[in-house]
Amino acid sequence: MTTLISNELRFQQPDVALNEDIEQACKRIAPTWPLDRMIAVNPYWGHLDQRIEAAAAQLAASSGAKLSMPRAWYREHWQAGRLRRNHLEAALDMAGNKLTVNELVAAMQHDEATTEVAPLVTNLADTVRVRTEPQPWSELCVHQISQHTAAWFDDTQAAWGLARTEGLYGSWRKALAADRGLPTRKGYSHRQNRVNALPDTASDCIGFVVERLGLDAEQRRTWLAVLLGSVRGWAAWCAYERWQARLLDGDDDQIVQLLAMRAAWEWLLVEDLSLQTSLSDWRDRLDQHPNEVARLQELQSIDWLLQHALEIAFQQPLQAGLRPAAVPREPTTTAAVQAVFCIDVRSERFRRAIETASDDAVRTRGFAGFFGLPVAYAPFGTDATRPQLPGLLAPSRVMTQAVSSALDGETLRRQRQDRLGWQQRWRRFRSAAASAFTFVESCGLFYGWKLLRQSLATTHRPERADDAGLQAGDAACLRPTWGEGAGAPSPNERIDLAAGVLGAMGLTRDFARLVLLAGHGSTSTNNPHAAGLDCGACGGQTGEVNARLLTALLADEVVRTGLAMQGIEIPTDTHFVAGLHDTTTDELQLFDIEMVPATHAEDLQQLREWLSAAGERTRAERAPSLGLGELQHDAQALSSALHRRAADWAQVRPEWGLADNAAFVVAPRARTRHLDLGGRVFLHDYDWASDEGFATLTLIMTAPMVVTNWINLQYYASTVDNQHFGSGNKVLHNVVGGNLGVFEGNGGDLRIGLSMQSLHDGEQWRHTPLRLSVYLAAPAEAIDDVLAAHKHVRLLVENGWLHLFRLNNQGDVFQRLPVGGEWRRADPSASV
Amino acid sequence: MPPTAIEPSDLRALSGYTVPLVLLLAAAITGRRSLPIASAWRIAQRAAVLALGAAMASLLVGMVWPVTSGLGTGWPIAFAVVLLLITFVGWVITHYSATYLAGEQGQHRFVRWLLATLAGASLVVVTGNLGMLVAAWLGTSLALQNLLTFYADRPQAQMAAHKKFLVSRLADVCMITAAFLLLVSFGTLQIDELARQITAQTEVPTGAQVAVVLISLAALLKSAQLPFHGWLIQVMEAPTPVSALLHAGVVNIGGFVLIRLAALVASVPAAQVLLVLVGSLTAVLAAMVMSTRISIKVSLAWSTCAQMGFMVMQCGLGLFDMALLHLVAHSLYKAHAFLSAGGTVHQSIVRRMAPVIVPPSILARVVAAAVGASMALAASWLFGVYLLEQPALIAMSVVVSLSLAPLLAGRVDKPSTRWQLRSVTTSFIVAAIYFGLHRLLHSWLGTNELDLNPALRSLPLAAWIITCFVLLFAAQAAVAVWPAGAFAQGLYARFYGGLFLDEWFTRLTLRVWPNQRQALPTASAVRSREAVS
Repeated sequence: MTTLISNELRFQQPDVALNEDIEQACKRIAPTWPLDRMIAVNPYWGHLDQRIEAAAAQLAASSGAKLSMPRAWYREHWQAGRLRRNHLEAALDMAGNKLTVNELVAAMQHDEATTEVAPLVTNLADTVRVRTEPQPWSELCVHQISQHTAAWFDDTQAAWGLARTEGLYGSWRKALAADRGLPTRKGYSHRQNRVNALPDTASDCIGFVVERLGLDAEQRRTWLAVLLGSVRGWAAWCAYERWQARLLDGDDDQIVQLLAMRAAWEWLLVEDLSLQTSLSDWRDRLDQHPNEVARLQELQSIDWLLQHALEIAFQQPLQAGLRPAAVPREPTTTAAVQAVFCIDVRSERFRRAIETASDDAVRTRGFAGFFGLPVAYAPFGTDATRPQLPGLLAPSRVMTQAVSSALDGETLRRQRQDRLGWQQRWRRFRSAAASAFTFVESCGLFYGWKLLRQSLATTHRPERADDAGLQAGDAACLRPTWGEGAGAPSPNERIDLAAGVLGAMGLTRDFARLVLLAGHGSTSTNNPHAAGLDCGACGGQTGEVNARLLTALLADEVVRTGLAMQGIEIPTDTHFVAGLHDTTTDELQLFDIEMVPATHAEDLQQLREWLSAAGERTRAERAPSLGLGELQHDAQALSSALHRRAADWAQVRPEWGLADNAAFVVAPRARTRHLDLGGRVFLHDYDWASDEGFATLTLIMTAPMVVTNWINLQYYASTVDNQHFGSGNKVLHNVVGGNLGVFEGNGGDLRIGLSMQSLHDGEQWRHTPLRLSVYLAAPAEAIDDVLAAHKHVRLLVENGWLHLFRLNNQGDVFQRLPVGGEWRRADPSASV
Repeated sequence: MPPTAIEPSDLRALSGYTVPLVLLLAAAITGRRSLPIASAWRIAQRAAVLALGAAMASLLVGMVWPVTSGLGTGWPIAFAVVLLLITFVGWVITHYSATYLAGEQGQHRFVRWLLATLAGASLVVVTGNLGMLVAAWLGTSLALQNLLTFYADRPQAQMAAHKKFLVSRLADVCMITAAFLLLVSFGTLQIDELARQITAQTEVPTGAQVAVVLISLAALLKSAQLPFHGWLIQVMEAPTPVSALLHAGVVNIGGFVLIRLAALVASVPAAQVLLVLVGSLTAVLAAMVMSTRISIKVSLAWSTCAQMGFMVMQCGLGLFDMALLHLVAHSLYKAHAFLSAGGTVHQSIVRRMAPVIVPPSILARVVAAAVGASMALAASWLFGVYLLEQPALIAMSVVVSLSLAPLLAGRVDKPSTRWQLRSVTTSFIVAAIYFGLHRLLHSWLGTNELDLNPALRSLPLAAWIITCFVLLFAAQAAVAVWPAGAFAQGLYARFYGGLFLDEWFTRLTLRVWPNQRQALPTASAVRSREAVS
């Protein structure tokens, strides 16, 4: 014991180099949001400063993760003729690779390289374990850490929770010392002694273990990366805690504590299994890691060529469509309605449908679905505040709902709180340890009725959480509001906000009589990942609140007067209407229509007809992908089938979400209006000629472009490696801590990303993993300036995490070469 | 030509045996891989509806032409209710799975074994022969085994299935030995005949006594009672509908068998004491473990473990009618809870919108329990349930009184009169439903020899149960009021570790069934099984 204590003392000195290495390892992990705010995250965000090829090799060698599909998949595309010689040629040319096409085709016939993953001590333990140990140590350690971390962060599921008197690491040490369930060779008291000997703080603990394992600086860096990668799910959760703290200018070191827990296990296993003599060989294997990374990067170059070729195969026809010859003139009819939709790929189908249905009388625009409002929101009469904006930003205000004059707000508030409080009291009766028996005997039979009702096909819309505790009809009397009095934004603030949003939308003149602001949301039942189908720009919520808030803002006389002084004249006969596009049923619900004056009744009626026709077209287009192809021509049946789908508690694929997304076009709608983009393209309206100082371009490239990259790489990562970056099989999902995340089955690590059911229909992939191709209709210098000023955006482009193109006024397409930053004309011989 | 004389008992047998027959037939057809999977599901769903219809018919026949069995006129109807329950839950699960498992590999296997499991479970309920019952129970377990290992590549699924296999086979050995002993003692395996003979005798032969103890042991093993509960907790490695099926339709067969053999159980005090002790301890300990769980499905599994404990405890006490109610109600509740487990996130959102309820103080809890007791007394009096006659019922009333406390305590800001009124009325209604159902069942099932069961009048057993549940109530209060106190802190790790009972059993299992898995090679072509399409 004495030696242990003296060792502990040695680590009282802060080790700057060690802390830097720890920081570096933690930096690599991208955050994951809670399930009720599930937004798409680029899981490679922490590797932004590396070339994608280098990150791939490193992730492979340190955790066995993959960043491209199996070779067999590329071969399939080759054999099916989707991948052709000219694509391979172009990819080779872009990479400056000396291989010939034939050599590449020959290389495609071999399977991908196998990986030598850098080992942990835990893996050594696995090789010496006896057959009466229930699980390999590499699983047991993760399970133990995962169970404890879940208990630490949970404050919803367990009635008897873990006391938070110490930190994550401190409480873990205590729990492990008391754990008599885990196997041990040398006995519990031996382990208890070792656990007690661990230093008191997380970073000291890591230093202590590094010392004990005799790691040098290089080995230490490798080891830390492998270590944190082995608890990637919870590391991502801790990264989220850190992300949130940093948004508020604070910090959070729980990810370091998690790392310390995992590190401590390494030493505990050395002690328990007497692995000291094997450590030297083990360190030699760690030394191999840099070589292995280099070897893999060399071998994987083939995979990246194939991946890029497939991306080129997607880009070429799109670019041909964007060429001037293909672009027809502006429609000559006047716009009856302007409709602003979210940039989401699912909007593309609906926009195309309503333009066609209305013969271009409805002019549509794409804009980020949170409509530029930096708000958080609390449903009426509750304190349950949630962000309604992208996860990259912190909200500056909290909005709530106002009650229309017919009701007394105070009464409604009290009634709602009473009802919600009562529901919770009933829940406690149902689930409390000493009450559950009586609950079952007195109320259990009632569940027979519930089973029957849920099993019979229903088109009844499932309850929205936002309506909880309200009686039927109450919800219709509530409307999101900017508030009044002290907390509300001043007239000037409102005017500036409105001017900013309209400017960014490019909607500053030529207003139609009706302007529809349409957010979007999804409807599904019994779906832990429901928020993932909602609007990512609204923080995994529906866009209803933002659309209604902006409508209210633009209806305000004071704001309109102020806007006019800034040169944005909104005619008095222009009215804004908020809507919500339900992406499961493709119905678009309109809000607050009682505010639209009688003079516009006909316009409104006309809009509704177009919306309903557009919904019908969109549903018919989506039907085959949902296995409803036979209903494609029966509008009524298809519509009810989709409503049933949304209300079906057994449905694991309510809709395909953003599956198959592949490109982001930032240009006036005129450039894409004639194209059927198949729901694969994000569309943002932008006219550089009216963008003074390129402020809007900067905004687009630093916010929506990053968000689309996050979505794109979330789908990409979950597809190419669902084991590491996806959440596995939905039929095994087991919700942890109410909203923290899911386990796949009994336990194991927290699972992040998308489930297989969101990507694959059982027969084939519904998402083709392609890196995002971004097309900006803007001058090269302007784009280069933004890249120069914003490091993250530049790294996205230069390190190959997306492809950046620009369109000039003539419709020529230029690609920005990742290396060197030169703009090069994209292959003009593109075949359509 | 004389009219063919069809006896009501023939009709009952016909409709009853139709259920397992239809399901078994459908299992045989749907398992064929040549059949398109959509057709397989269609056939399975139709078979499930047919089985449900047959179970209803069986219930109707039983109600129109009641028969007298060894237990009294109501019991055959009660068994028909259990048959209806199994077919209903079976239909719900079949319906659910057809959508839920879309796109999964091996659906043929799933359909086949789902139907086979349901067929086995329904045969257990239908048969009047102990030998057949033992065989059907064994078959149910073997069929279910295939569903538990639906994902054969999941090592944890294999581990749980091995544990279940060992426990179940041990139980089967108990059952087969018991059947043999009963056959030797009474010369028959017809359950009604066994019941008649055993109640007629003043002294139960030792062989029969041992047999009944073995049957109770089998029921405890198959009801996942501590410390043989691990497999029940760990079957989350199979798709959600399998959990629903297991928790709502299979694990409760142990309780059903005890009810089916009530006359035998009621005649052997040793078996009753065994059931009460193991059942009550499992109920109390598993309920506390449940309240520490952090994932929804595992929490539900521990809840089942506790509820099964409560059910076998009721059987041990001789409260077979209440055990039956518990069985049916719990099945419906738990099937729903599992199938809707994805809604947990939605509920957590609603929960954050609700006002914060401050944990009630110890005093408030005691007062609430006292108010609960008065509700229970009033309700039992209202329905003419005479508590004083049967100490067992006093014990149950104490459980009811304590359980009502959460409805009566728990401060909110400015509680309105309406709120308080609602607390009192709701808790009274709950108590009234409880005793009302008890009364209804008791009079419907008919009075019989079971009411003379000495366990119902055993003061020590009642005192034991009251002590257990008062301690549970006290522990629940202590950890809520002083979460960082010595009591909560000292016990948390133990309960969070499930009292480390399962680890003990796991090691035992591994000795019998060593781990087949090779140590994970550190260098591996890590390829997710999904990624290859």
